[in-house]
Amino acid sequence: MKINRRDFLKTTAATSLFFAGFGLPSFAGQNKKNLVVIMLEGGMDGLCAVPIRGDKNFKKLRSEINLKKTLKLTSDFDLHPALENFKALWDQNTASVFHATSIPYKGRSHFEGQDMMMSGGTVPYQEKTGWLGRGMKLAGLKGNGLAMSLPMPLLIRGVPLNNNYFPIRSSLPQKRLLNIIAEEFNQYSEKDLSETLSIVRNRDLNYFPGTNAATLALEAGKLLSDPNGPRVAVFKVENFDTHAAQGGENGTHADCLKEYDQILKALKASLGSTFKDTLILTLTEFGRTVKQNGGKGTEHGYGTAVLMAGGLIKKSEVHGDWPGLKKKDLFEGRDLNSTMDARSIYASAMSTVFDLDFKRIQKDVFWGDKLDNLSDKLFKA
Amino acid sequence: MKNFFRKVAFGIGPNEEVPSDPLNWALNQLDDIPNLTWKGRIPSGKEMIEIHARKNQIELKKIREKYKNDKKLLKIGIEKLKNETGQGFWPSLELSIRHTEAIHSTSPVLAKLWFFWSNHFAIVDGSFRTQFYTGPYEREIIRPNLNQSFEKLVYDVTISSAMIHSLNNSDNVGPKSKSAKNKKRTINENHARELLELHTVSPASGYTQEDITQLAYIMTGWRLGWSKSTKDTMPVEFDKDYHQPGKKSVFGKTYKSGKKGLANVIKDLVHHPNCRDFIATKLCRYLITDNPTEEMKRPIIKAFKDSDGFLPEIHKAAIKVAFEYNDQYQKFQNPENWFLQMAKLADFSWPTSSTIMDLYEVGRKPQSAHTQPEHKLYDLGHNPYGSKQPNGFSDFEVDWMSPELLIRRLVFAKDCFELTKSKNNNFKFYKNIVNKNFNKPEKIFNYLEKANKPYEIQILLFNHPEFLRA
Repeated sequence: MKINRRDFLKTTAATSLFFAGFGLPSFAGQNKKNLVVIMLEGGMDGLCAVPIRGDKNFKKLRSEINLKKTLKLTSDFDLHPALENFKALWDQNTASVFHATSIPYKGRSHFEGQDMMMSGGTVPYQEKTGWLGRGMKLAGLKGNGLAMSLPMPLLIRGVPLNNNYFPIRSSLPQKRLLNIIAEEFNQYSEKDLSETLSIVRNRDLNYFPGTNAATLALEAGKLLSDPNGPRVAVFKVENFDTHAAQGGENGTHADCLKEYDQILKALKASLGSTFKDTLILTLTEFGRTVKQNGGKGTEHGYGTAVLMAGGLIKKSEVHGDWPGLKKKDLFEGRDLNSTMDARSIYASAMSTVFDLDFKRIQKDVFWGDKLDNLSDKLFKA
Repeated sequence: MKNFFRKVAFGIGPNEEVPSDPLNWALNQLDDIPNLTWKGRIPSGKEMIEIHARKNQIELKKIREKYKNDKKLLKIGIEKLKNETGQGFWPSLELSIRHTEAIHSTSPVLAKLWFFWSNHFAIVDGSFRTQFYTGPYEREIIRPNLNQSFEKLVYDVTISSAMIHSLNNSDNVGPKSKSAKNKKRTINENHARELLELHTVSPASGYTQEDITQLAYIMTGWRLGWSKSTKDTMPVEFDKDYHQPGKKSVFGKTYKSGKKGLANVIKDLVHHPNCRDFIATKLCRYLITDNPTEEMKRPIIKAFKDSDGFLPEIHKAAIKVAFEYNDQYQKFQNPENWFLQMAKLADFSWPTSSTIMDLYEVGRKPQSAHTQPEHKLYDLGHNPYGSKQPNGFSDFEVDWMSPELLIRRLVFAKDCFELTKSKNNNFKFYKNIVNKNFNKPEKIFNYLEKANKPYEIQILLFNHPEFLRA
């Protein structure tokens, strides 16, 4: 069945109307709510992760990298078979998709795009803090961020004392020595160092679980489910930049999606009951060209999809205003267009998780840029 | 007073005399730029860009085409190409050259300032090409300029291949230029904005979006030369076909069209009062404290003005201020500076010797000794060639205090014991370096007495609050 733009609009509008009225902030503040952002670096192909069904033109443009086997999401969209854990969450109404969206960046450079997806700005390299960091600052969340990486990513810069987890293949000095150092920190009134060391001393460094994403996710889930633990976690999955051998069910893009899917699985398992108070969103710098290139890959594009999961998801649904894939519908005649500024999704998520007024986030985190409040449509209050 | 040797350099090694006049010891290192101390191979930027990076660029395209059906072979092909062009080796060689200057040279103060400017004019790490030319850029563009004027430094950096590529000035095309006639092309403001914001006057100067746009127009035409066979790894040239015609205006001053516009506007930017204030602030922040005071900055600003931005004079003023405030402020050291101070004091076998590094032949897979510097600095969380943003690594203490970064210091102090020399593994050795580098050695001795073994001394000493700061 071929979807046309008007029908797609109608369904989304009806759905949002149906849910209007829910999500009043009266239940706010009961449980600690968490926001997890998984950065998909290299340019995640939304058309590969969530392909449109029954579009002959699309199939023709991607004859060598099309998916032969897919998981079905809706009458209009399929899901890449590597995303089986996402599908399981979808079946429980705890996963959804926002399609045909992008950050406001059309330049097709990884470095500019990655800078902007983290800063939330509209000009590359202009901002020196991240949208998530500014959102946390607005919510008064000092020391509540957790980066699953060694350097602090730009995304959560803007608040002091963030935590991070990225184990090294080695062990800490003995407890006795740590005690001596801790005592010395106290004597010298090194408050920040003392606080940091107390976090370190609670870490179990006697085993090296590795630094692959799923292992890090198990640890993140544990920390996030602690009522006094962090409220924000940031992950990174690399290598989405598939100029060659992108493949279908088993190509390089599939491997990357699988890595994302493994993070979801591990988070679901380790968050336990906290999963219901958590949102897990993806973030990428751009999508990829509709047409495959000469190397059975795709080039840097524009519009893509945001994958959303967690107990705070309102309903499994593919959101968005589908722009179509006819040549005239494409951005610059080659890329899926974006019909929603992805920052609207992130601002809405922060509004939901941090219990902040959307307009304050819009003003203080995104400089009053024109964004849509999607909180009620996408998330549970 | 002895922390001064670490504040402006990397401390006093076990076999070095403590200078009797610390201030003059430091000031005397700032007039001349001696040859690099590294005895091994030092490849030129030209070789790196025009041979290795170019080969990488051209072959990569072929490999992608050849292995388009097989992701495993593609991966192997890319890995093989990496070896054929020495990609995995160069960053470690550059770190060895850099670290030798800090630990084993006779001008460690100059080295510390070299690191400061390299970070001030940071190259964004991302494209594989940075692995070929960030090191040469810091050696050939920044270092020789440290006894020249700030104006010349800014100009040379601005038209360097590394910076032009890093901030996309090749894509900055005048919309009314000849090359935009048939194709829709326009400006890319990245480089222009950073020239104002990060390199010279800072946002405090109050430039407008229009100033950025106008500066971008002035900068159009400065790009990497391009040809089909060599891709864009050619030296920077001014191509007037890409230059926006007509007059431009920045901060209310008019600049004529053409190649000379860039030099003229840079001249005015470096003479702007906010530029002096910004550079003074950053130097004080790097050496003294997160929040420099007006009193601290004043002598540096004055030296900048009086000497017309002559870098040795600016550096001397900054070192004098650091000396003056030495007892009042101790700055938390960034991981690389901390590691180098530990390596110097504990007399580590570091970096890998030039004899071993020179055994590497381009085309082969590097041995672990050849890649150790890069891996170590990556593990430490501070590979100076790995800046992800054009503002470089932070000089604010808070950005270096995270659990994992503290774990790295604890673990590094322990694991780097393997870099010590066995003759040094005794109390006497550590007593000597404490005497030379700490203000109240007795206090540190009492603390170190809690250690049972030499490697425990090392863990305790290098994580002592007085050592973490300088």
